[in-house]
Amino acid sequence: MQGFPGVGSDLQTLQASMHAIEHACSLIQMHMNPAEVERVIGSLRSSSMPYQTCRFILEASQMASARFQAAGAIGDAAIREWALLTEENKRSLILFCLNYVMERSSAPEAYVQSKVSSVAARLLKRAWLEFSDSEKVVIFNEVKQSIVGVHGCGPQYAGIHFVELLVSEFSPSTSSAMGLPREFHEQCQSSLERNYLKEFYCWAQAAMLGLADKIMSSSGNVSEERACAGAIRLMFQILNWNFTISDKSNTKSNVLPSGIRHDTVVLKKFDRTLIKPGSAWRDTLISCGHTNWLLNFYGALREKYSYDTLWNDSPLAYSTRQLIVQLCSLAGAVFPSDNGETQIKHLLQILSAILPWVEPPDVIAASIRSGGSESELVDGCHALLSMASLTTTALFDNLLKSLRPYCTVHLLAALTCEVVKALMNNQREEETWAEESLDILLETWNVILEGIYTDRSSISKDGVYAASNLFNVIVESHLKAAADSAFEDADNSEYFHASISKRDERLASYALVARVAAESTVPFLARLFQERFSALSQGLGKSDPTRTLEELYWLLLITGHVLTDSGEGETLLIPEALQMAFPDVVEAAQHPVAMLSWSVIDFSRQCLDPAMRSAYFSPRLMEAVVWFLARWVATYLVPLDTGMGNIKPTISEGVVTNGSQPSRKVLQSFGWENNQGNIILDSAIRISLVALTVYPGENELQALTCQKLLSVLVRRKHICTRVVQLESWREIARAFANENILFSISARSQRSLAETLICAASCLKDSETSLQYLKDVIGPMTACLIENTSRTDLKSVAQQADAIYMVSCLLERLRGAVRATQPRTQKTIFEMGYAVMNPLLSLLEIYKNQSGVVYLVLKFVVDFVDAQVVFLGAKETSILVNFCMQLLQVYSSHNIGKISISLSSSLLSESQSEKYKDLRALLQLLRNMCSKDLVDFSTDAEQEDRPDIAQVVYVGLHIVTPLISLDLLKYPKLSRDYFALVSHMLEVYPEKVAQLNTDAFTHITSTLDLGLRHQDIDVVENCLAAINSLASYHFKERSLGKEGLSLRIVETQGSNGLLQASVTDHFLRLLLQLLLFEDFRTELAGSAADAFLPLILCEQELYQRLIQELLEGQSNPALKSRLASAFNSLTNSNHLSISLDRPNRQKFRKNLHHFLTEISGFVKIK
Amino acid sequence: MSDEEHHFESKADAGASKTYPQQAGTIRKNGYIVIKGRPCKVVEVSTSKTGKHGHAKCHFVAIDIFNGKKLEDIVPSSHNCDVPHVNRTEFQLIDISEDGFVSLLTENGQTKDDLRLPTDENLLTQIKEGFAAGKDLVVTVMSAMGEEQLCALKDIGPK
Repeated sequence: MQGFPGVGSDLQTLQASMHAIEHACSLIQMHMNPAEVERVIGSLRSSSMPYQTCRFILEASQMASARFQAAGAIGDAAIREWALLTEENKRSLILFCLNYVMERSSAPEAYVQSKVSSVAARLLKRAWLEFSDSEKVVIFNEVKQSIVGVHGCGPQYAGIHFVELLVSEFSPSTSSAMGLPREFHEQCQSSLERNYLKEFYCWAQAAMLGLADKIMSSSGNVSEERACAGAIRLMFQILNWNFTISDKSNTKSNVLPSGIRHDTVVLKKFDRTLIKPGSAWRDTLISCGHTNWLLNFYGALREKYSYDTLWNDSPLAYSTRQLIVQLCSLAGAVFPSDNGETQIKHLLQILSAILPWVEPPDVIAASIRSGGSESELVDGCHALLSMASLTTTALFDNLLKSLRPYCTVHLLAALTCEVVKALMNNQREEETWAEESLDILLETWNVILEGIYTDRSSISKDGVYAASNLFNVIVESHLKAAADSAFEDADNSEYFHASISKRDERLASYALVARVAAESTVPFLARLFQERFSALSQGLGKSDPTRTLEELYWLLLITGHVLTDSGEGETLLIPEALQMAFPDVVEAAQHPVAMLSWSVIDFSRQCLDPAMRSAYFSPRLMEAVVWFLARWVATYLVPLDTGMGNIKPTISEGVVTNGSQPSRKVLQSFGWENNQGNIILDSAIRISLVALTVYPGENELQALTCQKLLSVLVRRKHICTRVVQLESWREIARAFANENILFSISARSQRSLAETLICAASCLKDSETSLQYLKDVIGPMTACLIENTSRTDLKSVAQQADAIYMVSCLLERLRGAVRATQPRTQKTIFEMGYAVMNPLLSLLEIYKNQSGVVYLVLKFVVDFVDAQVVFLGAKETSILVNFCMQLLQVYSSHNIGKISISLSSSLLSESQSEKYKDLRALLQLLRNMCSKDLVDFSTDAEQEDRPDIAQVVYVGLHIVTPLISLDLLKYPKLSRDYFALVSHMLEVYPEKVAQLNTDAFTHITSTLDLGLRHQDIDVVENCLAAINSLASYHFKERSLGKEGLSLRIVETQGSNGLLQASVTDHFLRLLLQLLLFEDFRTELAGSAADAFLPLILCEQELYQRLIQELLEGQSNPALKSRLASAFNSLTNSNHLSISLDRPNRQKFRKNLHHFLTEISGFVKIK
Repeated sequence: MSDEEHHFESKADAGASKTYPQQAGTIRKNGYIVIKGRPCKVVEVSTSKTGKHGHAKCHFVAIDIFNGKKLEDIVPSSHNCDVPHVNRTEFQLIDISEDGFVSLLTENGQTKDDLRLPTDENLLTQIKEGFAAGKDLVVTVMSAMGEEQLCALKDIGPK
């Protein structure tokens, strides 16, 4: 072939290389000697001009995997040596690959053909901006001929497959790396979209039309079906393209009057996006009846193969359905602007075609249960979801009306019913289809029900009725499943947590369905709850209540979800659907939501009665009770003084809702009526106390009580001010401070309990009471810690398990207290911290071998500094800083040079990770101290006496860094923290670095060396930033005539062995090495440029010398001159000047980018 | 109740007891526990319930601190477990005898000669080399339930 690159060798050499590769490939298959294999194949990939050899292997080798490797080598080598290839070479490589797959389209090992195609696609993309249009036309003409079927089925499939790979190569998410900036990929992407994409689609369409005829007339030619499925898959993939040019048709409103929506983002959840190809595609996709043809084609095929149950999962059926579902998501200017009429017609067409896939639901579910294929059902659900997201709720609901006597929501409900039943009946079996379709269907419900509030469209009566029916089915099948599973062992906790979030998500979707039909579902829930509750009290002591308990557990969960939203981190509001419902109710006692709430709360209160509690309130049921109360209190005890207008501005002006104003008011206020609010809060506190004291060892329950329920009570002011007045609250505070019983809950729960109790202090109105309260809670903790650490026999008792446990609990409590620091309580808490400073140091001494205690001490100090430092004046700051320094010194003296020895490797790794956690805490401590220089709320005027934070942090770093061995830096979190801190310090206070002693300085620079080669891109970026700051500082100092860092000498790897050099010298060499010879990631080029520029400016002479050395080392004259000119333009083009201002840095960034694309690759060739 | 309750309950002589009871639910990862009469370090705790409406139980995976063997135990989380008293004492290393015993200097100036060197080759060379290089070595001895073992080594600078 003309222009094929590389020098031809004699047959013997070629054969020898082929045998070497074949041998290596056979070793892979036998999993032998991987290092050797890697070396042989790697040498082919990275050798200079390996194309002739590869070509020979591709054409001559009998071994498929050798051919595969050869194809890959062509791709890698060509991308690397791109700058060295001529136009002719490039074109001939691409054509060679294309011809290769066309000629061997029926070869058995498809993966080799696919690899060769993908190499062709990759090279064509690399050449995309260089080739003229006519050159591309030459290549594509060939491909087009094959696709339309001129050369028969085999080449047709090969052509289609090539275009498919080309499209995926051009899509940003699936493109392969080429060592080029992102702009290149973007340019290619938009060029393809503008000039070729539609054409490709038409080719595929033509291929499909031609093949369809044959498939329908002849019976089952395999290769024709394969090509047809390929064409359809290509069309699907093209429609998956992320269209960027498209839509100029921006309508002002997001919803057309006809009910078509433009604002859809919801499809993402199932990897689908909205397709907006723009008006240019109208003729191809819409006006020529493409969709209709496709639907008919599928229908005809379906009929033809109705005898074959496996056909539904055949590639042709699968890809056709995929394309149909994809066509559902078409939107935007591809449809004419006729108020959505065409689009509605389009959706209707598809809907009527997919009805047989999902209807009648019970028959279909039964056929799947007896072994039928579920694919059509699942895809049908996807289509429904797409339609729901493109239309308003009302339009979606009406779509089906023209085809059936009922509405779409009715169908959706019937479908969901069947899926829920199928899922609940076969819970133990692997029924993934039911899981999958239920997820999709529930998402569809979410979409249409959210639509009700955003576009204020509504569902028909029929739809509401269907939703209510669906909810009944859901509840009944779940209750049955709950009762049946009541005697199983509860799951292991870890699995439990993963499934809890899944379960909650599903329950929340059920709740949305329930709220739509609140008129019937809320009373329904209340009735079920009452029934179970009375069943329990009637059976008192007679029968085993476990089944009923599990039912109640499930009812509590679903009721909680129906009545409240989860609203992580937000202020909870009463669900809008419940506020809109029940417009005629004017009295709180009659409001179904109130009635349901009271019956659940009354039930909850039963746990305060010891007899009831021991008979029925299992830990699991208590968990549900506590969870429910937390959500209910946060939602329904709304602040009374806030008018409803403020809470719900959007809805209250609406026409729909004006009539229901009184019932809204009832819902907002019923919680507080007749002093109920206070009684509920009181019960919540008493229930918490019960959960904490009567259920020993139930950590889940206690964590839930402390972290959810009690923290809700203090979170919002209007609730907290009432809570702190209650006797029960004083009781819990007293128990916490003075009694032993709460020491038996887990230490972590004690921490959050302390936090909650201290938080409440700021809601006590007068400061006197608040102070007293704080003292009452904190006093005993500190007193106990101080007294115990000053015991004379401390040394002998301290190591006993109970003493260690007690100290750990106290430290956790103190930590919780400081985390609750607020401006009003800051002073008192600082005093507390001040009082325990010395005891903490002696604890650190005594427990130096108890890593658990040491860690708690460190974490306490970290939180203490974090909470306090911004408030402190000069005097307190220096107290705190001195304390921290002492702490660091004590810690360091205990741990430096210490090696753990143990027989057990797992104990060793445990002790290693304990060390790692300690060090992370120390770094956090230093970082928290840094924040004093950035944020400072103290009102102190005397700036002079204030300690120099930067100085202190450097000293701290000096103490901490020797403890961080290079091994420990392999822990990703630790290394991230460390390098973030170092780069921050070097950036903000470079002048302090100059004052560090030699050891410390060398340690910091040697860690930077390590960091530059780190896997983690953030770490490398931090290191580059740190080097940038160092070098920039040095440059600025020098230009002012000072010495800067010149006296800093480090060891560096010179061209002939180690040598002593200045820091900038060292880093210049290092960076040059990285950029030129190692795998440098292009996304780092920007930060590398920022570090590189000041280094060059500092060390101009050295830089010139290094370049000279490099050039002399290069033997190939062509490469030498390219390299020289690349270096020349790196420093001379774009009017680069000798300064470090922003524009200059920008210019240098551009130059370096250009430099890297110019030379990357060919200097790395071995 | 008074804050009297918060004091360590142990007396100085309570060290005679080798273990102390602690509620299973409060034992965390990295704590100590006695399983099958052996002092162990907990490396994993998980909880589950006996039947959905039963009580919680803790599943401990722990490693014997002396011989490195893995042991497991399941305990109702409200019950007490035995927690060993694990003591660590530092001694200066004076000598290594040929038969594999070390000679340590105690706080009151006596020597302690009854402790064997670890059998593991790596550790052995670490200690021996350090000692031969004339470094000032401090060793930590871990003791629990009547057993003793070297567990850490610290270089406090050249002699």
